[in-house]
Amino acid sequence: MTESAISTENLVKTYGRNRGLTGLDLRVEPGEVFGFLGPNGSGKSTTIRILLDLIRPTSGRVRVLGADPRTDGVRLRRRIGYLAGDFVVDGRQTGRDLLTYLGNLRGGVPRNRIDELAQRLGLDLDRRIKGLSKGNRQKIGVVQAFMHSPELLVLDEPTSGLDPFLQQEFVAMVREAKAAGQTVFMSSHVMSEVQQTADRVGIIREGRLITVERVEELRERAVRQVEIVFEEPVGTEEFASLPNISDVTVAGHTLRCRLDGRADALVKAASRHTVLSLRAEEPDLEELFFGYYSETGQEAHHAVA
Amino acid sequence: MLLRNPFTKALFDTRRSLFGWTVAIVAVGAMYASFWPTMQTPEMTEALAAYPEGLLEAFNYSDLTSAAGYLGGAVYGLLVPLLVTVFAIAAGTRAIAGDEEAGTLDLLLAHPVGRARLALHRYAALLLGLVLISGLLALVMIALSGPAEFDGVGAGELAAISLQLALFGATFGALAFAIGGATGSRAAALGGAAAVAVLAYLANSVLPQVDGLAWAQNLSPFHWYLTGDPLVNGLQTTGPLLLLATTTLLVAAGTHLFTRRDLAV
Repeated sequence: MTESAISTENLVKTYGRNRGLTGLDLRVEPGEVFGFLGPNGSGKSTTIRILLDLIRPTSGRVRVLGADPRTDGVRLRRRIGYLAGDFVVDGRQTGRDLLTYLGNLRGGVPRNRIDELAQRLGLDLDRRIKGLSKGNRQKIGVVQAFMHSPELLVLDEPTSGLDPFLQQEFVAMVREAKAAGQTVFMSSHVMSEVQQTADRVGIIREGRLITVERVEELRERAVRQVEIVFEEPVGTEEFASLPNISDVTVAGHTLRCRLDGRADALVKAASRHTVLSLRAEEPDLEELFFGYYSETGQEAHHAVA
Repeated sequence: MLLRNPFTKALFDTRRSLFGWTVAIVAVGAMYASFWPTMQTPEMTEALAAYPEGLLEAFNYSDLTSAAGYLGGAVYGLLVPLLVTVFAIAAGTRAIAGDEEAGTLDLLLAHPVGRARLALHRYAALLLGLVLISGLLALVMIALSGPAEFDGVGAGELAAISLQLALFGATFGALAFAIGGATGSRAAALGGAAAVAVLAYLANSVLPQVDGLAWAQNLSPFHWYLTGDPLVNGLQTTGPLLLLATTTLLVAAGTHLFTRRDLAV
């Protein structure tokens, strides 16, 4: 078995009396895109800062790409690309100066690689950074994280400040990175930011990972409204008893129902008739995710009480 | 290329401010030095004799009858070291704590750069700035020594005190650097180093006039910098060595503490 790209065991970080992480067990496998979800203050950035050795854990074990960030940080960070949500740099330099410098810290990144990425994102490298909009600044951050094609991308709320077009471009870049075998660890407090790219999603709450789900399975479990139009009228009873189906209403040729989970039984039942059209709305994973989230939250509260 | 490593990048980033400081400090030094011929008039001597001796000593103007005494007071004793101290403390603060509070250190340290390397590169850039300032000052003073009649003060003495000036600045720069490295707080680095600089100045210039407090002078970097009268006797040993040792200790301690702690958010 190959070693995980990121693994932590019972990772604890306390800040004075505040608890940042309370025993985080996390595994991110090589080559996957892992979405790290949780509300603000749940410990996402704390985790990421430990991975990069910007802060040190109070206790617990952490390994990144087979190395210890604490003792082997310099060599390790050569293989990582990092983007913070609030990308802050000295504004008195141009984007090109900054990227050239950061590239040199990594042993040199070809100029045409930087140009290519900047062009792709529509970024003007020759302007001073302080004259750039927040979105354009964030683009510089995206370029510096991707430019050396690192084995592991650590992205902390990466698309904040990017407009929808750039968010799409960013999604494409993450997919390309995955296709190239790179591992992506991406934190966010919104599902929509990660659901397009993530293979798995981990939910962190109060410094602890409470669940890890495959996005596909999450989708499978999601509740969606389905509408099927048949050539001929159909009966309610034929569909009402199907597994995963509820709230069945039939109005003439049109069937509407709630699908909760796999669609197999519904599709097979429908296939006995002539289907004119079929529409299933895209599930709101966010809702599902936070539904689960608040449930477990309540359980936790009950346990305490 | 100046974007190669943290040392050259620090120089690149401060190029404008370093240029400004160098021009300002050299100009102030040259201006005061060129007043020397006018100080030798009888009217001036009388006017200065009217000041209480303690006051003059407080400003390091203890001997205004020789070129060495005047230069040691007006140029190298007050304004120039004061400006050099401000420059060094500002640069020492910026090296770690300033960038850390601005939030720009995260990105750099997420790169393959060790903390010690980053800190030492930045301190080295500060040192080079001090060498540049005091070196240019020495050259300008040597050039002025003929026209401004520094009789008895040669190039060797001017070079010696300029070197000691650079070491003196390095000490306060190292103090701000060390506090910043240990705490990450810009205010602590700036305030702490400035407070020590003021105390050190008082310990050298005012406390010796108070009975029972004269010993404090021996602890002052101002004293280490000026003692032995390098403008008369050339390069000293004890003072510069104390400055060097203190600087080394502070830089080592600050760097060490910086590598051990959490980076501030």
